[in-house]
Amino acid sequence: MSFLNPLFLLGLAAVAAPIIVHLVRRTKAPRVEFPSLMFVRRVPQRTIRRRQLQNILLLLLRCLALLLLVLAFVRPYFGDGQTVSSGQRADLILLDTSFSMRYGNRFEQAKQRARAVIDASGGSGRVALLTFGQSFDIQSQFSPDKNQVKSILAGLQPGFDGTDYVQALRGAEGLFKDVSESNKNIVLISDFQAAGRNQAEAAYRLSKEVKLTTIDVGEQNSPNLAITDLGVQPLIYQPKYSDKLTARIANFSDEAKEGIRVEFQLNDHTVEKREIKIAPRDATTVEFTGFNLTEGANRAVIQIEGDDFPFDNRFFFTLRRTEQLKALAIESATRGRSESFYLRNALTTGENLPFNLEVKTAGSVNPSELGQYRVVIFNDPGGISQALSQQIVKFVDGGGGVIIATGPHTDVSAFNQAFQTIAPAKLEESMQLRGEYVAMSEIKTDHPIFEVFRQSGRLSSAHVFGYHRATPTERSSVLARFEDGNPALIETLHGSGKVLLFTSTLDSSWNDLPLAPIYLPLVRQMTRYLGEREEGAWHQVGQSFTVAAAKDGTPPAVDAPNGDRITDRKQTTTGELIINAREPGFYRLRYPGVSDFAAVNVDRKESDLSKLDLEQFIAAVTGADPKAATTASASERLSKEDVESRQRVWWVLLIAALLIFVAEAVLARRTKMAKVIG
Amino acid sequence: MKLTNPQPATGNPQAAVNLRFLAPEVLARITSLELLARTVVEGFISGLHRSPFTGFSTEFAEYRQYMPGDDLRYLDWKLLGRTDRYYIKKYRADTNAQCHILIDTSASMRYKTGAVSKLQFAQFLGSSLAYLANKQQDAVGLLAFDQEVRTHVPAHNRVGQMRTIYGHLEQLEPGHETKLSKMLHEAAERITRRGIIIVISDFYDDPEEVIQALQHLRFKGNDVIVFHVLDKNELDFEFTEPILLEDAETEEQIHVMPDVLAEGYRQTIRAHIEQLRGGASRNRIDYELLTTDKPLDYALFSFLAKRAKQ
Repeated sequence: MSFLNPLFLLGLAAVAAPIIVHLVRRTKAPRVEFPSLMFVRRVPQRTIRRRQLQNILLLLLRCLALLLLVLAFVRPYFGDGQTVSSGQRADLILLDTSFSMRYGNRFEQAKQRARAVIDASGGSGRVALLTFGQSFDIQSQFSPDKNQVKSILAGLQPGFDGTDYVQALRGAEGLFKDVSESNKNIVLISDFQAAGRNQAEAAYRLSKEVKLTTIDVGEQNSPNLAITDLGVQPLIYQPKYSDKLTARIANFSDEAKEGIRVEFQLNDHTVEKREIKIAPRDATTVEFTGFNLTEGANRAVIQIEGDDFPFDNRFFFTLRRTEQLKALAIESATRGRSESFYLRNALTTGENLPFNLEVKTAGSVNPSELGQYRVVIFNDPGGISQALSQQIVKFVDGGGGVIIATGPHTDVSAFNQAFQTIAPAKLEESMQLRGEYVAMSEIKTDHPIFEVFRQSGRLSSAHVFGYHRATPTERSSVLARFEDGNPALIETLHGSGKVLLFTSTLDSSWNDLPLAPIYLPLVRQMTRYLGEREEGAWHQVGQSFTVAAAKDGTPPAVDAPNGDRITDRKQTTTGELIINAREPGFYRLRYPGVSDFAAVNVDRKESDLSKLDLEQFIAAVTGADPKAATTASASERLSKEDVESRQRVWWVLLIAALLIFVAEAVLARRTKMAKVIG
Repeated sequence: MKLTNPQPATGNPQAAVNLRFLAPEVLARITSLELLARTVVEGFISGLHRSPFTGFSTEFAEYRQYMPGDDLRYLDWKLLGRTDRYYIKKYRADTNAQCHILIDTSASMRYKTGAVSKLQFAQFLGSSLAYLANKQQDAVGLLAFDQEVRTHVPAHNRVGQMRTIYGHLEQLEPGHETKLSKMLHEAAERITRRGIIIVISDFYDDPEEVIQALQHLRFKGNDVIVFHVLDKNELDFEFTEPILLEDAETEEQIHVMPDVLAEGYRQTIRAHIEQLRGGASRNRIDYELLTTDKPLDYALFSFLAKRAKQ
């Protein structure tokens, strides 16, 4: 609502007059203390209240009449500012290009509606165009050239990523920052699916000076079938995949679906076909197992047939068959007792193991052989030869992983000299707690080693009776400490490799860790962290993923799923290539002599095409009454008659004020009469 | 504003002489509660020269036959030596009653339109009753409360107990809001030995809940006497001009027009009193409504009647 004669608003001060008179004329009753109002309250005081009510009613009527009179003079009007003063308008079209807009002819409809908005924006208004999915792209800044914006609009295609309305609105607001027009409008054109509302941003409010209009191009009911999730073991160490490969297939419709064909393909060959049925609004799981994999990366696809929206019917992923991770444990083996007894059992028990552990004494290691291992574990080995200590530095430089565990055989000065270059800390004297113990605390659960323990407090269950005090170097970080504050596990990066220092033993001589249930997962996590490159089976459109460089440090050439070579190449400090996943399918990574693959899928959240409660959404974003907001969204341009009629409110206000004055006069007379008679 | 001044008990001139020490405005001039109690009670007892309540002193010890399980410490060996019979000797303290005086010290008890406030009246009454009870060799205890227990002197029959009680009674000050029924329940739990319980309050609480709490005291085996102390103006509501009443406890304020309200108010408070009286009589609890302008003899009579049944 705006006013034609806002200066008359000063007249509102007149409303104070009856209030002041009311207050001044009020008689004050003396205050008397009384033991309890328990019984006074129980007596109905209708007479008093009625009399008081009449006075208050009179006061209210007088105030209201004056208020209406003033409002009638300021001439209020409702609706667009543009209807009164043209040339003050800036329209921003927010066009949804998320993957769900590929459903039916939604995107064409959306473009049509956007064109209509541009046409209706008036001769002197400016228009901007923003497209959005999970994030937003500025297609056109605010421009009075409508034809240019229309030609950009004509060339737009829907993308493959998810939807985030709040991100889009934030982007739109940012674009309005430098806009001088007083009438700022966002026209949001979308299919308004519920998955696009980011619940984490529920508190977001659009700025008050920006008006939001919504155009919905989605159907109320959009049946869809989709593969929504996949359970897979991405790294395999044997030719046969013996785990379960599970695909979750969901039916987002109100009808049961029968005869859905599910096909599992490996490197473009069909491995298995199934036929399933799914109840309405339900999901089912399909399992595959027992197939063979070739060495290296295998391209795998699960696809379904049976609906008209094919973009989420294929799920791409990679299965890698690699060699086991070779690890070497170096120990002292004094008195015929192996320090690596627990370590060996933890790393080599079970099937389909990623580890291949060899145990040697410090004296029997040939330093030149280190290159064949991915991880070397110094398990309280005693004296280290100079040749071995030199070789281990090269090993770490070249990307190898080292775990150092100290113990009763560790000579502090020899240790500091041998591992001077790579050790994460300078070792100090050993602490023996004699009857006492400390537990692990201050554990960095966001570190990949401890991630899996985040939910359990069991890391602190082990008792440590002895350890070496250590002063971490500047470049290292402490991943866990003992209760007394001394470091327990310290990590440092050296060259392309990593080194972990555990200041107690990996056997039971200084702690009872090997007897605790967390020992096996902890040791495996540490070894994996150092020796393996963590890679998922697939990535998602809109995310970016890194691709390792070849051994000589040169990054691979990358082909997108449509065959185009990716040219905007960004690299991390460690030489890895960063790829922005923009479309689903297999990205081919061309290394010299060999090809690797990375799978990318559409955002599965988008597959659920259920509608957003639009009224509630608008109310939440604008903070306005939901009904008023939807009316606004449905409103078209105003005709001249409308413009005229919307300024005619002052008539109504004036008549209302007169009627109230009459009512006030009648009531006042009655009250007075009652007093006289009384 | 017209308020009725409390009048001394008049009527029969003889009675006026007998009760001259019991009129509240006279008592208000006595600063020591001990002296006050003695004055009241001695005067009162002398007035009861031929009353049926004389000679109620219960100084005797009781014997009963030994039953298996009785404590041998209480066996009367001398009697056994003399008569060859097994008797258990019960001590005097066991036969005498305990008397607890429960006084409500909530903010509403501060109210007065005459010479004494309700709390002062309660102090007079409490100290007189304590003195009287002590004269019967009863162990006297005191419990004063508003929304929580302010003073608790457990009942004893030892030397100096009365001084303690008078001391505590003298120091009672009007406190905060009260939750009478809750406090009575608490008292019922605190007082473990059964005896006479005297409740002095203005009973601004839900009568049903109060009766339930009194039942609780009864259930524990106590004899309960209730003194409902009110100012005369609380009963009559003799205001004339419009006033702003403020609740002494909650400080809540309410505009009233006495001409409209007074009759309804009187009916409501009488209904409340009747409800309390009815509830008390159903539970064999002695209920006595006292206004602060009345002499104390009603209260003392009521106590003695109850004590005589013990």
